[in-house]
This record gives sequence, C-alpha cells and structure tokens, in this order.
Amino acid sequence: MEFGWTEEQEAVRGKVDAFLNANLPADWEAMASLSPGSQAVTDFSKLFCPMLEAAGLLIPHWPSEFGGKDASTWEHFIIGEQMWQAGEPRGPQYYNVNWIGPTIMKYGNPEQKDYHLKRMRQGDVIWSQGFSEPSGGSDLAAMRTKAERVPSLAGAGGDKFIINGSKIWTSYARLSEFCFLLARTSPGKRAISVFLLPMDRPGITVRPIASVVGDGDFHEVFFDDVEALESELLGPQDKGWEVVRFALNFERIGIPRYALAMRTLHRAVDALIADDAFGAVAQAAAASAFTACEAARLFAYEVVDQRSKSNPSTGTTSMARVAIIAAERTVADFVLDWTPHLFASDEDKMVATHHKRAIAAGIAVGAAEIQLNLIARDVLALGI
Amino acid sequence: MDFELSADQKLLMTSLDSLLAPYRIPPTGAHGYVEYSAALQAELGEGGFLEIASQPGFGPLDAALMIEEIASCPVGAEVAASTLIGPLTGSFAAPMALAWSLGRPSRYLSLTRTVCLFQDDGVLVGTPRPDDLDPIESVVAYPLASLKATPGDAVRYSGKEAAAIKRRALIGIAAEAAGLMRGALDQTVQYVKDRQQFGQPLGHFQAIQHRLAEDAQIVHACRNLAFRAAFEDDDKSAAVACLYAQEAIRKIIYDCHQFSGAMGLTLEYPLHLWTYRLKFLQGEAGGKGAQAQALAAEIWPDLLSV
Repeated sequence: MEFGWTEEQEAVRGKVDAFLNANLPADWEAMASLSPGSQAVTDFSKLFCPMLEAAGLLIPHWPSEFGGKDASTWEHFIIGEQMWQAGEPRGPQYYNVNWIGPTIMKYGNPEQKDYHLKRMRQGDVIWSQGFSEPSGGSDLAAMRTKAERVPSLAGAGGDKFIINGSKIWTSYARLSEFCFLLARTSPGKRAISVFLLPMDRPGITVRPIASVVGDGDFHEVFFDDVEALESELLGPQDKGWEVVRFALNFERIGIPRYALAMRTLHRAVDALIADDAFGAVAQAAAASAFTACEAARLFAYEVVDQRSKSNPSTGTTSMARVAIIAAERTVADFVLDWTPHLFASDEDKMVATHHKRAIAAGIAVGAAEIQLNLIARDVLALGI
Repeated sequence: MDFELSADQKLLMTSLDSLLAPYRIPPTGAHGYVEYSAALQAELGEGGFLEIASQPGFGPLDAALMIEEIASCPVGAEVAASTLIGPLTGSFAAPMALAWSLGRPSRYLSLTRTVCLFQDDGVLVGTPRPDDLDPIESVVAYPLASLKATPGDAVRYSGKEAAAIKRRALIGIAAEAAGLMRGALDQTVQYVKDRQQFGQPLGHFQAIQHRLAEDAQIVHACRNLAFRAAFEDDDKSAAVACLYAQEAIRKIIYDCHQFSGAMGLTLEYPLHLWTYRLKFLQGEAGGKGAQAQALAAEIWPDLLSV
C-alpha cells in the first residue's frame, strides 16, 4: 500500500492542466454553467476534442490498434478528473472516449469499429445513452422498448429490426448523432440487445425536458416503428446485458464529482475571505466539507487501482459512489449555508454550475439507495 | 498509488494476525469497563512490533496499518503513540501516553513509561513517577490517569519537532479510531445477522441495512484517510484523517448501539469495549473543533488575515 504519484502521472496532470489553461476560452466558465449537453458546450466540444486529440489527450488510453497510445488506466482517470474539475469541456463526448468507444472495440464488427471509432477520434460526434425508460430508471430490467426482428425478403439485404417504445432522462439526445440504445429483442427478462442507432432515423422524436439540472441534460425520446439495420446491432442479439456490464465496468464510479466540488469549496471560501466573513464556524464547516471530498477522492482512487489491475468490481465501487454523493452534497450545502448569494445569482458561474449539477449526484447512474443495497449485500453480506 | 498491501506489509500483517488471534475473542461473562491486556502489550513489545516504524523498509504507514488492526480487537494495548511518536523521541521507552493538559484524563498513563505533555508552544516528553499521577475510575474503556505535574526528566520539543509529534498523535488517533469503528461495526453486523425479530434476522430490514451500509462506507473512508495520512506524514493529511474520524465516531457509536438493543448496553456484551474507547477519542486532541480549525488554517492560510 502506498499513496504516491509516479513522475509520469504527475506529468500527465501537469500536461492536462497546461492544455486547459492554454485552450479554454475566457468565457469558458460562463459557457460551462450551461451544462455539457447545452448547444454551446456541445458545439465547443467539437472544437475542443480535436485539439485534445492533437495533443494526445483525448484517447491515450485506447489501444494503439484503435489510434490510442495504450496509456494506463491511471492516465485515463487523471485526464477525466482534471476535465471534470475544469467543468468538462469535452461536453457529451466523455461518453465516447470513456466507455462507448471501448465497448465498440470489444463487441463491434469491423465496420462498426472502423466507422465509429474513427468518428470518436475526430472528436466531433455526439452520442446519447438510451437506457432509462418511464417504467424503469434504476431498475433497468423493467425496460419495455422493443426491437422486433423482421426477416429480409430474399435479396433485400440483411434483417431489420422495428423499434417501438420510449426512453426518458436521456442526456444529450437532442444534439446527438447516435444513440447507444437498449431494447428488448426476445421474450425473457434478460433478452435485450444494444443498437448503435443513428438519431436521424424516421420515427424518432426527441422532446427536451426543462429541468433544474441544466440545459440539454433531460429528454424524452420516442421510437415509433423506427427501423434499425442488423448491422447496427452491437454484439450478439439478446446478449445486451453482457455488453452493458462490460460498458459499465469502465464507468465504475461515474463522474469524479468531488473534483469540481473541491474547486467550488475553494471558490466559496475565497469569497468568504474576501468579505471578511470566514469565521470559526464557517471554517469548521469548510474543513468538514474538505474532508468529505478527500474521502471521496481516495475511494475513487481505490476503485481506479482495482480497475487498473483488472480486478473485478467490488463493494468498494458502491462505497465510492456513496462517498462521492456525500462530498457533492456537503459542498452544495456549504454554499447554501455560507455563500447563498453565489447560489442565487450568477456572480460566480462555477459555483452556480456545481450547485446545479449536485442535485443529480445521488440519482444519476443508479440511485444512492441502490448503492446502499449493494453495500449491504456485497460488503456486509446481510442478504436482501 | 496502490491500495493493496505490499509483500512486506502482508508479511507484517500476517505475523500480527497470528499474534492477535487469541485477543480477538471477546471476553465472556461479566467483565469490567476496561479490557487492557498486559499480555498483548508485552507480546507486541517482545515481538518488536512497537518499533516497526524505525525498521529499514518500514515507516509510519506500516505502523498505522498495525494500529488499526490491533484497535479492531476487543482488548486494548498502547500502540499508537509508541509506534508513531516513539521514533521521534528516541530514548524514551514504550509504552507512551499522550496528555493534552495537566489534570485531565489521559489514556494508558498509569501503565506507561513515557508521557508526552502537549502545551501551546511545544511538547514535553518525560518519564512520569507514580507521585505524578492520579488514577481515574471511569466508564471509559481505556485505563485512565491524570498527570499532576511535569515529569522531572522532561525534554522540551518545539517548532517542527513538536509539530511532528502532534501530527503523529493525530495520525495515531485516526488509525486507532478507524480500527475501533471497524471492530464495533463487525460486532454489530454479526449481531443483526443472528438476532431474529418478526420472524427474520434484523439485518434483513432495509432500514437497518442502509444505515449499516453507510457506516461501512464511512469506516472504510476513515481507514483510507488514516493510512494516507501516515504515508504522507504531513499536517494537512493528518488533520483531514483525524477530523473525518472524530466526526464519524458519533454516527458509528449511535448505530452500533441502536442495532444491538439493550444487549449492547450490558457490560457482559463486548460492544462497549469498542464504543467507550471511541467516545473518548471523539474529543481527544481538542476534538473535531481543534482539528477543523487546524485544517482550515492549513488549507486557507489567508484566513489568518480575517
């Protein structure tokens, strides 16, 4: 056991920070406050990600055969941590580099790999993730969207699938070119499949849902007799759970939210110091919030350590998610308690951004209570 | 960054594990408030465990791993100060007690050969004589005494040396608290698996599962932070670890006692052997208020101008 960074890891962090300092525009914080799925940040990501790729910082963790540099899990994680701390200038494209790309590498056919990975490397393609449905959010198995196989007529190319159903809470859907879509393809609870579906297909309707979280984060997506080609199926039909499990393995802890939380805490304290208002009680609250962020950070590192060794995900992953949620909430509460003006106005865009996103921390990617169920089952062996 | 034990650490912990085996069994039948084990203290000393941090290839992190593990046992011995502060104070003999002021209860003081008396401008380290001590009868699960007078042979440490002693003390508190919380939680988790109510184990109720799951997460965080603090051996990490632990103690004690029912309130049942040591550690070294203030000053030095 040791808690040090290697010189290479320090160098990566320094390189990413230098890149961000040099390439984020002056109005970046204002833009970032619009959230990753906004038109502005999405458009910016299509300028930013190609520059990131040119600097070798978009997909260094991808295998060299797919254009990466075989960089370590740690390097990948450090880049993600610095990006989120900066307000996530990759916009929705963090999906691509973190897990959609690697999942296509594993399960895609040669054409899918060739086309989609190339687009992701170019840094100008937006994906959405069609998982949650009105009947199933955290309970993915309750999904109802169906894709029925329609055999082709002789000589008319491959089979097709006709997709009917709807997805909800779909981030980035309005501006996405493709959807990583889950649908039922046979009877039976686990008989789902993954489609790499172009979003301009006739029969797809996207309706934005206005929310307190941010612009572009929530949508309803309706599928009415939407045709998908057999060539758009990712992996074997009915084996979608395996594909999803593989994909989720890359996103064990989700977003390193504590990174922006810590930065927000510093910003709020700086404001208090400037106002001559950082007294003993505020200091105690700030110190406490700082420890919550540190606890979350170490949990995240522990999970990355497991992943870097190709160890299976354990209950530590669920504990990490609970700790990250706690850190996010503690800082959000600190801002409300001590710098309410920064919450209620746009005086500090970054603090406002953090607060806007914090409310979703315990809901996105599986509710906090599900993580507690998993800890009870996997760590404490309490049985459910 | 590596969260798995190294080969040397595994050897150390395996060896410690076999030494601890008989001490992991909670005492049965009526027993007192305190389960200090002179036998465990002697075995740790004879086995060279208390000098681990000065051994080649080992350091404060290895000491913290040991402190946490030993604290998870229902019986206690003085380990934290000896292993972490001992290497800084040289010739003074283990075991060692920490006195945060004159006239106030200090853990292990009546059983130790060395005391560190913390003062505003430094630390006095010396050998207490029996006349210097007032034994204290208490419900706290540590043997307690108070220091009446500064030991005659006391050596004063100041500046960076004193800061290092204080830092190691905080790391020791954090590691010991983490182990105690783990011990209390393990005992409680087993209890809710065994105890049947309403036709099923208590642990099948989700209300209980969720609180224990939160506790498991918090205790794991305490361990990580304490180990990181020992590795870094810096003031900020030490304050983070100690503050987080001292804030966590309250919830862990409450939940463990709550889920153990009246059984957990008896002297016969061992839960108090962990929780009544934790209660003392909650306010040790000034408690979370002092740790928070010290941490804030570390992170935001500008606040001093406020």
